[in-house]
Amino acid sequence: MSTTISNPTQAPQSARSSAVTKQMLKKSSAARRARSTRIKLWLGTILTLVVVVPIALANLLPIADPNMQDLGARRLAPLVDGHLFGTDQLGRDLLSRVLFGGQTSLMIGVLAVVVSGAIGVILGSIAGFYGKWADVIISRVLEAQMSLPLLMMLLLVVALFGPSIPVITGVIAIAQWPEVARLTRSLVLVEREKPYVDAAKTLGLPKLRILAQHVIPNVFKQASLVILLLLAQAVLLESALSFLGAGPQRPFSTWGRLISDGQDYITTSWWMVTLPGLFIVILVVGVNLLGDALRDGNLRRSSKKEGK
Amino acid sequence: MLTYLPKRIGQGLLTVFLTVSVVFLLIRMAPGDPAASFAGPLATNEQLAAVREQFGLDKPLLQQYVIFIGQLFTGHLGQSYSFQAPAVQVVMDRLPYTLTLATSSILLAALVAIPLGMWMARRSDTDAELGVNVLTIAGQSMPDFWTGIMLLTGFSVLIPLFPASGFTTWGGLVLPTITVAILQIALVSRMVKREMVTNFNAPYLNIARSRGVSERVLTWKYALGNAGIPVFTALGTRFAAMLNGVVVVEVVFGWPGVGSLIVRALETRDYPLIQATVLITALLAVVVQLLIDLAYPLLDPRVRLGKAASA
Repeated sequence: MSTTISNPTQAPQSARSSAVTKQMLKKSSAARRARSTRIKLWLGTILTLVVVVPIALANLLPIADPNMQDLGARRLAPLVDGHLFGTDQLGRDLLSRVLFGGQTSLMIGVLAVVVSGAIGVILGSIAGFYGKWADVIISRVLEAQMSLPLLMMLLLVVALFGPSIPVITGVIAIAQWPEVARLTRSLVLVEREKPYVDAAKTLGLPKLRILAQHVIPNVFKQASLVILLLLAQAVLLESALSFLGAGPQRPFSTWGRLISDGQDYITTSWWMVTLPGLFIVILVVGVNLLGDALRDGNLRRSSKKEGK
Repeated sequence: MLTYLPKRIGQGLLTVFLTVSVVFLLIRMAPGDPAASFAGPLATNEQLAAVREQFGLDKPLLQQYVIFIGQLFTGHLGQSYSFQAPAVQVVMDRLPYTLTLATSSILLAALVAIPLGMWMARRSDTDAELGVNVLTIAGQSMPDFWTGIMLLTGFSVLIPLFPASGFTTWGGLVLPTITVAILQIALVSRMVKREMVTNFNAPYLNIARSRGVSERVLTWKYALGNAGIPVFTALGTRFAAMLNGVVVVEVVFGWPGVGSLIVRALETRDYPLIQATVLITALLAVVVQLLIDLAYPLLDPRVRLGKAASA
């Protein structure tokens, strides 16, 4: 109980040797919090790299072609015949399918985050900076979208425009922009009251230029912290769409599709569902941990600056 | 209060109306002909035309929309093409299943997440808390369909404790509930922790402690009392979102709810059924949201509806 409330142990100001030992300092809540953040940061980095590096290097690794069928080697268990992850119902190497599928999943995730980030930052800063009718319209659209049944709408739009990669990327981006926009808007609302904005206005700079050159760069760093969390969500959304059959179609084998294909063989071939799923979990946990640690660190720094 | 309630109801109805209108337009823009999927691959052009006329699909879009608005007021949204029954009836038959799953999941989430979050707040930044913290991050990082399949394999195939699909016995409720609740537990417990820590560090708590209020009262009455309000709102909002159908989990477990219904309706281009599902779930979500807002002043006497509630 007392751990969260007690003040961090403070060293006395006098020159004589302190009664506060190094161990006590280490145990102080501030030091421990910094330690948890550090651990999360490292764990997150390692987990993310474990998944991302093999995916990035998939073309160079000595693995089988992801689409090469070998009907004589159907549903081999992991580690049999040089198939690290086993094979699927058509004898295709599962590791290779997971890695190449991951390229598609990751690419969609990254693109979606870039697009939603751009839309969110632009619309959010317009709403925050100009206020009045711009704010009313953008905020209403935000609210309306947040009250819509999300997955249902995504399925609908994918059914409408066909499950191509640009459509799926766009759909995920549209699902995610409200989060960025809300955050940017609230940051800009604070930023526009700062003296330098008034100074720029007095100097006669056009409003758009103040926004684009001065305000947005100042809020960008804080707004960008949400990006990692969005990337995690985007990967999960894409896999859910793929699982429901609204993901990228052949020849792309994304993670959600691998799992939905493997579902039929779950009783006899556990690896076809388990291993692709573990890949998603490791990646998303890693990215989430990273995002969490960066946010913790940033919060502490900004609260120190403001002397809270 | 007197102006607040009508205003909120009006806003809610507007949201529902816009939602169903957007859906109305989107499904008609979509490729794929409901007449073709209804009449089958061997249908002649004459038969297709007859089917379109029967469904009213040969009329201009604007006229279809006017008819649809009229239907909204009568509450009769037409016959479902694939079920050959009134669409609203089909959705209402499925609704109790989704309601059951959503209720049991939110209850399980609240029962686990609130104590867990309080524990995390009290043990903040210890090694044990770090471990649980990482676990909650894992909980929000698992794709729910994957978790579902894993649980299904583990506890109904390998160890046959629970039925694998559908809802015939109460045992069938266990695995879907856990699957849905895992994500909610992860999110809500982190929120409880955040709120509790904020309250633990608030000046009012130090003053109360200096006046000799016991730690137990400080934790349970003071801190939890204040932290409870945003947590209650979050739980309510999540519950409202679940009423739109826990689509993926329902598909995995063959759960006969609204979520699996909408997937099927989209596949067969069953326009009335899609519209009815969206209308009913959107209405329900708005009502639940309104109830949460109305419950606010009961939990927090400082809140006056119509003034603070919009913040």
